[in-house]
Amino acid sequence: MSTNFFERQDTAHRHTGRLVLLFCLAVIAIVGGSSLVTYLAVDYVESQNVAHGYRNVSGLNKTAAALYVGIGSAVLIVLGTLFKIAQLTGGGSVIAEQLGGRLLHHNTSKGSEQQLLNVVEEMALASGVPVPPVYLLEGEDSINAFAAGYSPSDAVIGVTRGSVEKLSREQLQGVIAHEFSHILNGDMRLNIRLIGVLHGILLLGLMGEFLLRTAAFSGGGRDKKDGGLGLVVVLVALAIFILGYVGMFMGSLIKAAVSRQREFLADASAVQFTRNPNGLAGALKRIGAKLQGSSIKHHHASQASHMFFAQGVNLYFASLATHPPLKQRIEAIDPAWDGQFPTITSKTTGPTSAPAKKQTSTAAAVPTAAMAAAGVAAMSLSGQQQSQTPGPAVADLAQASGQIGNPTVDHQRYAAQLIGSLPDELTTAAHEAYGARAVIYGLLLDKDPEIRDRQLQTLDQQASPDVVKLTHQLIGAIDALDAHTRLPLVDMTLPALRSMSTDQYRTFVTCFQALAAADEQLGFFEWILHHILLRHLKPQFERVRPARVVYYGLQRLGEPCSVLFSSLARVGHTDAQAAVAFAAAKEVLDDVPLQLLDSNDCNLAHLQNALEQLAQVAIKQKERLINGAAACIAADQEVSVREAELLRAISDTLDCHMPPLLPGQLIAPVTTADSAPPDKTS
Amino acid sequence: MSALLITLLVIGGITLFLIILFINTYNRLVTLRNRFQNGFSQIEVQLKRRYDLIPNLIETAKGYMAHERETLEAVIQARNQAAGGLQTASTNPGNPQAMQALSGAEQLLTGALGKFFALSEAYPDLKANQNMMQLSEEITSTENKVAFSRQAYNDAVTSYNTYRETFPPIVIAGLVGHGQNAELLNFDSEKIAEAPKVSFT
Repeated sequence: MSTNFFERQDTAHRHTGRLVLLFCLAVIAIVGGSSLVTYLAVDYVESQNVAHGYRNVSGLNKTAAALYVGIGSAVLIVLGTLFKIAQLTGGGSVIAEQLGGRLLHHNTSKGSEQQLLNVVEEMALASGVPVPPVYLLEGEDSINAFAAGYSPSDAVIGVTRGSVEKLSREQLQGVIAHEFSHILNGDMRLNIRLIGVLHGILLLGLMGEFLLRTAAFSGGGRDKKDGGLGLVVVLVALAIFILGYVGMFMGSLIKAAVSRQREFLADASAVQFTRNPNGLAGALKRIGAKLQGSSIKHHHASQASHMFFAQGVNLYFASLATHPPLKQRIEAIDPAWDGQFPTITSKTTGPTSAPAKKQTSTAAAVPTAAMAAAGVAAMSLSGQQQSQTPGPAVADLAQASGQIGNPTVDHQRYAAQLIGSLPDELTTAAHEAYGARAVIYGLLLDKDPEIRDRQLQTLDQQASPDVVKLTHQLIGAIDALDAHTRLPLVDMTLPALRSMSTDQYRTFVTCFQALAAADEQLGFFEWILHHILLRHLKPQFERVRPARVVYYGLQRLGEPCSVLFSSLARVGHTDAQAAVAFAAAKEVLDDVPLQLLDSNDCNLAHLQNALEQLAQVAIKQKERLINGAAACIAADQEVSVREAELLRAISDTLDCHMPPLLPGQLIAPVTTADSAPPDKTS
Repeated sequence: MSALLITLLVIGGITLFLIILFINTYNRLVTLRNRFQNGFSQIEVQLKRRYDLIPNLIETAKGYMAHERETLEAVIQARNQAAGGLQTASTNPGNPQAMQALSGAEQLLTGALGKFFALSEAYPDLKANQNMMQLSEEITSTENKVAFSRQAYNDAVTSYNTYRETFPPIVIAGLVGHGQNAELLNFDSEKIAEAPKVSFT
């Protein structure tokens, strides 16, 4: 199994490619089959007519008829597929709501729901993806969960009531980590395409069924008057019907096989993430204990069956199962398992916390070795041991690509600590749509009192008075924030901001832009904020085209690459330092014609254009870009908060989600970013 | 090509188109309804918070405003009624009766609270009470939050109603359980510009 994020994403892409090929073959076979049947049927009827001396069918041409049926069924399948995909790309929330999910809010009174939200938030901050909205499947007592959406920006997590109430925090964490692996490994996109094509083939079967009924109803069969045309229609309809359903069955087999493989991978990644196989294994064992099981009652469950954490739909054939058997999954992550499911009778959550030493040893023995060799190995397990010397930190950052999509237990602990360190006032505000806006406005305020005054005046005019008041209240807490907590705070506001209405979103964007433009130049942090926040918020309110892969190599992209690395090299560096940093990037990307640009050419508008172009690069090349960027930043053995934030914004634009830098990884004094005047990247 | 085959193909095509249109419309209706229902759950969270704060507020005021027992009781009663209205409304967001009941109860509560705050002006000790200051500040901010989430809810309801009333949806909306417009939630605090009644009798 693959080891790093880029390889896993690459596998997902190749799987998708292979699947599309398989499905294309299946579609061609179905289309060809229906044409052939039409041809033979017309041929047969004609020969019968000749034999019996009837008048021949009114000019029914064998080849033309076959062609028409062939084209018709092809169009049907393609339309059905596109329709379903278009419907599903509406975002994860659509799927979650179709399954009967209720959006959870942070200030709901229930402790167990609060816990779920906290677990999700920690995981999201630890893995550097925007915090996804969490839906509760209220009517489901079973233990199950799912992740849905097209990209991390519109991903949602759904959890059944059973999981929330019956799993311990540790087990819940295992389940959520499993779902995050699906988000990070690009499985959701694969899932949506699978559902789409299957729907297209199913539509053909339905069409055949419909034709068959109509023909039977209109008294088809062999009729002297129409020269056997009725018989032709019945035969063709029957063929389409059978081919459609057989195709559907075969498609389900393929879907199930792929899905089972991705499940193993997600299990392995989840264990690697939490470093605690007992949590995930405990959850699986509870499902195995059959008290609640994992089946989902909702009638839409079958089409989303492969998105769930465990088998959501009961089946008669094992090869149609979208999830590997429970026993295999548990054995894969917990080799010490005796094969017995615990007998749990009470509603209380089972004791799952084993001695810490045992946990790590089992984690090390995980046979599905998806443990990332890079990044993870270099990091020490306990947070306190993080050394303050620049050496290891820079080494960690140099393996930046190894960290992406591979959050570790350190990141998770750090995220929890980070959330804890934020003042309550800010976390509460960030968790609701009302206060979240004030938090963002507050973050946008400039340090310069003159500009800040102007910004507050703008805010007075544009925003509603109570938000302005709230912003004033929060200013103190926001100014006191540690620079490295700013981006995680922005990540935390995302689910709340998504619950705004379209009108409220428009007002918010207007205010945002007015604030950002107040100092008459797009500042550095403003640019990053704009990038991360609006990029993830936009898909909720406007239709956004997902990025397509256009470039498979970097050779032709010398110019945007030069802009990217020159900008990075010049952030807070003198000319001499910039040259060194740029050389470091050049070393990583030795086949790309790179040129260190003049500082005037490194403005944010250019960087924006360059990034937009680079987002269309194949995933394997993105890995090199990020490695180059990391090398560039770490060249002078010093990583400032500003550089780190920029690196995160860049990898975010490239759809690679970077875990936050750990405390030991920040070497430069935190104040550099704050004391510097608003940056012009020059 | 025989006429029968062409007819069948055309009928099949049209039926297919209609089926897709039907499914699409139905799903969109469900999505929009879910959206405003989720919008209501946001209001619910804030209203609950408000209802939780009010007893504390009255408890604090009791010591100072012993002579205003009636006002205090009126607030508590209005609060209980509103809490009941919220419970009914949350099981069926968008239902006209439930929404009107809730907004009526909310208006009563706002009126009672307004009277209470006006009376409390006469008690400087109470106004200076730290607890009281904190609570009334929190109630105000919760009210702002309610207003904000109510705006989001009303926007969602409006887009649901508008979609439901446009041409293809209106034909099938009634058949699939979307026959009724959802109700906006208005607490009438906006109706400041209402003309005063003047009588010359």
